[in-house]
Amino acid sequence: MRRILVTTAIVLLSLACVTSLFATGGQEQKGPTTLAISIRTLSNPYQNNYKVGAEAFGKSVGLPVDVLTTEANSQKGITDIKAEVAKTGGNVVFFIDPNEETDDVAIAKILDQAGVYFLTWWNKPADVKVWNFKHWVAHVSFDGIAAGYFTGTELFKSFRTPNKGKVFAIQGLLANTPAAERFQGLQKALAENTGVELVQWVAGDWDRTKAYNQTREMLIAHPDIDGVWCANDDMAMGAIQALKEAGLAGKVLVTGTDGIPELFDAIKAGTAAATVMNDAKYQTGLGLAMSLAAKQGKLDVAAQPQKYRQFEIPAVNVNKANVDQIVHDYLDSTPNYDFSNFFAKWSVAIP
Amino acid sequence: MTGLREKVEGGKRAGGRIRIMLPLGTAGAWLRRAGVSGQILSLIIVIAIFAIGTRGRFLSPANLQVILSLAAIPTIIAVGVHQVVVLGGIDLSVEGVVALCVVFVGLLLRNKFNANDVGLWILPITLGLGGVAGFVSGICNTKLRIPSFIGTLGMSWILWGLAVFVSRGQTVALLDTRFQELVTGTVFGIPLIALIALALVVFLQIIQDRTRFGRYLYAIGGDEVLARQAGVNVTRIKIVVFTLAGFFYGLAALFLSTRLGSSQAITGNNLLFPAVTAVAVGGVALTGGIGGAKNAALGALIVTALNDGLILLNVNPYAQEAVNGVVLVAAVALTIDRRKLGFIK
Repeated sequence: MRRILVTTAIVLLSLACVTSLFATGGQEQKGPTTLAISIRTLSNPYQNNYKVGAEAFGKSVGLPVDVLTTEANSQKGITDIKAEVAKTGGNVVFFIDPNEETDDVAIAKILDQAGVYFLTWWNKPADVKVWNFKHWVAHVSFDGIAAGYFTGTELFKSFRTPNKGKVFAIQGLLANTPAAERFQGLQKALAENTGVELVQWVAGDWDRTKAYNQTREMLIAHPDIDGVWCANDDMAMGAIQALKEAGLAGKVLVTGTDGIPELFDAIKAGTAAATVMNDAKYQTGLGLAMSLAAKQGKLDVAAQPQKYRQFEIPAVNVNKANVDQIVHDYLDSTPNYDFSNFFAKWSVAIP
Repeated sequence: MTGLREKVEGGKRAGGRIRIMLPLGTAGAWLRRAGVSGQILSLIIVIAIFAIGTRGRFLSPANLQVILSLAAIPTIIAVGVHQVVVLGGIDLSVEGVVALCVVFVGLLLRNKFNANDVGLWILPITLGLGGVAGFVSGICNTKLRIPSFIGTLGMSWILWGLAVFVSRGQTVALLDTRFQELVTGTVFGIPLIALIALALVVFLQIIQDRTRFGRYLYAIGGDEVLARQAGVNVTRIKIVVFTLAGFFYGLAALFLSTRLGSSQAITGNNLLFPAVTAVAVGGVALTGGIGGAKNAALGALIVTALNDGLILLNVNPYAQEAVNGVVLVAAVALTIDRRKLGFIK
């Protein structure tokens, strides 16, 4: 009995300590609308900028922000969303980057039933349509094919003989929409540059360590490689580290996507050729602004044409020529985003 | 006490299910006695398949160097995990411990984020952090009587959360190069980091084979109740084992962040499953009491060689996971001595 009491006391005390450590202030059940974001993690710079963007938007409109992370666990993501709806009594709007595209329908049903407006980013099954759900404001994405195409063509230009040589590709997660789109973009670039051969591709699962290992192994299989194309910046940094150890950094260039500060430094140092910056701060700002406008009756969701319910916006292409300007505009300062026109950056509808 | 001694000796003599029929003579007998004959056979099969498939490129000195270099960190982690498995438990705290240690390495060594530079003190600091985490896991398991599966899983989440909280999700670029030679250097063509891992394996294997601590370890793994009745201080041994495991994870974290030249919590991801795979492939029984450091090291080597070979053979990435699974099952079938397992769950 004594042991049970001691154990219970320790668990409760630990819980209290941990909660107070991480607490950001409790929210009232009633009152101002909560701006909630559900994202994968806070452990990488790109995803962390979702939080920065949400807090900046929250500050601009004077509303509280809650951050939920799935930690790559779909069930946790869905459960947390339910809990957030319960906690706020439904007085909440969401920006959601689903862990997997298969999560979308479950999330949409829960939030539609609760009457909560939300916007998703990146992952959505092609056959699931936003307009079939009353409170699903929009699904937005960056043009992954354009990103893969840009980084591919920039990489080919960096070869000893431009647009002629061998390239090795490190994909992201295989069953992931952006990863597949970026790889399609690379293949489009390859089709236009027949002098470039894709000697091999592997799945790096967005993991820097895995990309490092794979690059070291690839250098054994293809020691005469001319470039390494990576589906994101984290893997690109792993590849650069492996090339450094082989004495090839700066001779064999690498590309990524996301726009993390380390890769900007690598472009400046001449070890990377290009990246595409997905402006996470703008993403959350736009997502929360649209969902909030829908809740406040300023955006009539049902009246929006389908092209404004599922659409893409362009990302920011970064190479040696503009990296300093990009760092100045987006890292050293936060741009003053204008969310009065939600479709100002609209580029193409998602069918 | 005789029963205990028999159990201990029986536990230590893992392997033997697969009799190597090749004319290895005394070497074969030694391998069988050492409990690694199945593992060596698995490794030889993997090497032979890939050597033929890649027309010898797999056996090139450059590739062998890559394999040894890449196997070193998984070996260090697997060796940490395996001791807990030998005890009859499991340690799922690897990723959380490594994440927190990696973050501290980034923030305390010379970096681009702050003015800190603790220099060589980072070694005791990282080992200490890992050790404390392991110690707490041991306390949870022994004093609070929380099963190691849940206790260490919870510990992993707590430490992962702390790592993200401390790092604020940022990646810290390391400027310190003092440890770089350890992860990139070679001695007579052998990667220095592989030699360090080997030294740790030999050290631990000697402890397991030659000391009272080692005997008690197998006694607890074989039958905890019997060991306790025989006077073994089970609680103390368990806490020491968890703490030792934490030291190993801390060291692995230091090498990982040095190798990648950066520090981020996410570096801890995707380390647990390969470590447990290496332990299982190495012939350490997940039911406890069987296997040693050499088994874990061989398991890590087999798994690394397999991954390397699949890339060199240009196996379709969509099929690689399936191939990995088939080889894993086959390797465990070859390496586990099922006669010594009372039951298969």
